[in-house]
Amino acid sequence: MRKGHKRNSSNIFPIKIDQLEKLMISKFENNDDLSFTVFHHQNKNIAVFYIPYQVTPDKVDNLLLKQLLENKTSWNTESILNKMPLSSGKKSDRMENILEDLIKGCVFVYVEDEDEIVSYSMQTIEKRDLSKAETETVVIGPQVAFTESLTTNLNIMRWRIHSTDLVLEKIMVGKRFSREVRLIYVKSIANETDVNTMRQRLQDLEVDELEDINVLIQYIEDSSMTIFPQFYATELPDRTSYAISQGRIGVLMENSPTAIIAPSTFFSFFESTEDLYMRWNTGSFLRILRFIAMFISLTLTPFYVAAVTYHFEIIPTQLLVSLGQSRASVPFPPIFEAIFLELMIELLREAGARLPTKVGQTIGIVGGVVVGTAAVQAGITSNILIIFVTISALASFTVPSYLMGTTIRLLRFPMILLAGMLGLIGMMFGLCFLLIHLLRVTTLGRPYLSPIYPFRMQDINKVLFRLPQAFQGKRFASFMPKDLIRFGKYASKKKDIDE
Amino acid sequence: MDVNVKLKPSLSIEAFYLFFIITSIQLGVGMMGAPRYIFLEAKQDSWISIILAIIFSLIVLFVMLYILKQYENADILGIQVDIFGKWIGKLLGLAYIAYFAGALLSVVLTYIEVVKIFIFPEVSSLLMGVVLTILIIYTVLGGLRVIVGVCFLFFLLTHWLLLLLIEPATAINFDHFSPPLQASVTELLSGAKASSYTFMGIEILFLIYPFIVNKEKTKLPITIAALWTGAIILLTTVITIGFFSPEQLLRREWSVLALFKIQTFTFIERFDYIVVAEWMMVSLPNMVLLMWALTYSMKRMYKVPQKVTLYTASIFLLIGCATIEKHYHIQKVITIVSDNGFWLIFVYPILLLPFVLIKKKWKKARKV
Repeated sequence: MRKGHKRNSSNIFPIKIDQLEKLMISKFENNDDLSFTVFHHQNKNIAVFYIPYQVTPDKVDNLLLKQLLENKTSWNTESILNKMPLSSGKKSDRMENILEDLIKGCVFVYVEDEDEIVSYSMQTIEKRDLSKAETETVVIGPQVAFTESLTTNLNIMRWRIHSTDLVLEKIMVGKRFSREVRLIYVKSIANETDVNTMRQRLQDLEVDELEDINVLIQYIEDSSMTIFPQFYATELPDRTSYAISQGRIGVLMENSPTAIIAPSTFFSFFESTEDLYMRWNTGSFLRILRFIAMFISLTLTPFYVAAVTYHFEIIPTQLLVSLGQSRASVPFPPIFEAIFLELMIELLREAGARLPTKVGQTIGIVGGVVVGTAAVQAGITSNILIIFVTISALASFTVPSYLMGTTIRLLRFPMILLAGMLGLIGMMFGLCFLLIHLLRVTTLGRPYLSPIYPFRMQDINKVLFRLPQAFQGKRFASFMPKDLIRFGKYASKKKDIDE
Repeated sequence: MDVNVKLKPSLSIEAFYLFFIITSIQLGVGMMGAPRYIFLEAKQDSWISIILAIIFSLIVLFVMLYILKQYENADILGIQVDIFGKWIGKLLGLAYIAYFAGALLSVVLTYIEVVKIFIFPEVSSLLMGVVLTILIIYTVLGGLRVIVGVCFLFFLLTHWLLLLLIEPATAINFDHFSPPLQASVTELLSGAKASSYTFMGIEILFLIYPFIVNKEKTKLPITIAALWTGAIILLTTVITIGFFSPEQLLRREWSVLALFKIQTFTFIERFDYIVVAEWMMVSLPNMVLLMWALTYSMKRMYKVPQKVTLYTASIFLLIGCATIEKHYHIQKVITIVSDNGFWLIFVYPILLLPFVLIKKKWKKARKV
């Protein structure tokens, strides 16, 4: 757009005020929004124009007009810029720059027959206040979440990382409706290849508009054919700043209350910043619990289907008796029963997410308790399966990332189908396929399963569990940061008893 | 064809992974039935046979390494062409290709048979073949790095099975090993030879060596790998022979798997079902490495794209699965592979060594 119009963007100044007014109104053909006022001051005509709802009216009246009209000087462009007690003054003479700034919320002052026009940025952006994180709730630690305003978000990032090394690179993405995207990294830590890759991907993007940062992720991720998310999308500033201080890269976008963290390995989706705030042993326990939960969520229902359909020998006798009793009246094969219940849980979750909070809770109770009990009494499902399905649904919600949780819940369905077709062999096929797939996925060109493969011994204690802070003196070697050392090891003397 | 292999640095792997590559290709379906075959030859002195086999495979590994070190960055296919000329060299290369294909077929067939015996007697072999082939193709398409990843990851995910041997190990009857040292030398040696199907796989070093970045560090991982495999086979054999009486052992084709049968938990009876399913993870790296070796050798020698070989070999593999179903036929495939493989893998490198040394001297002499 810019290139094509450059030739027409001739300098229109100097110009008469009434001509300027006509010109501006003609440019805003269908809009009645332009407020164009002409003041007569010290024998000069001065035009002031702006779009009322884009600027703060108080500021225009008190800071600009008051000064302009009460001052006895005879105004010209230079004197306005020099004497007006406003900092954002800017000269311009190109028509399309003027139009662009006008939309963004600038106030223009033009003294008749001058060569240039002066603009002041007095924009007002309607935005909500900072609030608590909704999708990634934490028990301890900072509660604040990003908002839709980029300036607010940048402000938050700046006060979380006090360093001149923090780079907030501005990249405009989108052709027709371009959006401001910020590439955030710490220059002395972040791996340069990663930064370059990310910058390249953002700059090479040729789309006409981006709805949200989650759409941006889908454009710039390594592979769109995999079910696994490759970049962490978070609304928590502390998570973002922690990642950035570890040498990873953050991306923020205008109008999106979410940040991208890249590269994000499979295991980083199971990390919560809360693990850091807890003591190392409780933190480790919670993290290991999440991995177990993921495994349970993925295999429990398929295992039930496999065992009941093909291999009832592996079920211990006593359990087999009660299982037989509860399944005695069920007329369907186990696979049908399992898929029915899993779908019901997904329905409840989806309905709960769409409905207003208060109604959602009610629906949850009605769906979970009433339908569950009724289904067993009607003989559609066995109550043991209800327990399994509920456990695996619960387990899938322990994953801190909602995207990863959804992925795991979705993966359950092919697993159930495979278990229904080939029993344990089918399940094992599913697991093997999944692992091979994970080995093939990359995130920002780095292996998704690192630090397990490629194996990095020194990162294991940050990923699978956590050692005490004294052992956390190094950053993630898997991401190859420029500066690996966070701090030197504590000099700890070995003490004998009674010294 | 170049003797030395030129590689992009992004394809290379660290020497450390050689341990996982070699143990993965050695520990596969072979070890499920190995104790019985060794016992048939060497009786209660089987453990000596295995120790002999470990020593022998270590020697072969070091001979292979020595041969490889004479060259800058070569694999066996290039070395053979360098020594024997284009025609004989390529013919010998063909022997390797045939061995890889045969070994792949035997591994897939054996696993399918085990599944049929232990879990699904009525499942179609073709369906099982399709399941395994999908996994093989998907892995090999990812390239060597993904293949090594599979070896590494599946190694970690399967070795917990060893814990399940604790319970049978406590029930060993040491009388089964006495009187010791009764077997003659020939019996011991034929016992060691019987274990060769399990110890096969070290030939992968001949192909994968050019991919190693830090070549000076290869010695340690391959030594530990050979010892690890040997230790596991020794352990399972000792437990099997101690646990089953000789008559029982002779009746059991897959004696190692039968060991897992006695393990029960409060929530799972019949652990062997899980073990047989889990064995897919044990044998998959095996199949994948053999398939990769097959496709890679075809590319090295005849410039056939790896994808073409991969898909063609998979189709033949499926045909093999569908047609060879009888136990007798499968046993025959295994016997052919293990007999010929024995010569190719354990004897041939030692025969090759003098040729390599002569060639080296000859080259030096010409230079001077």
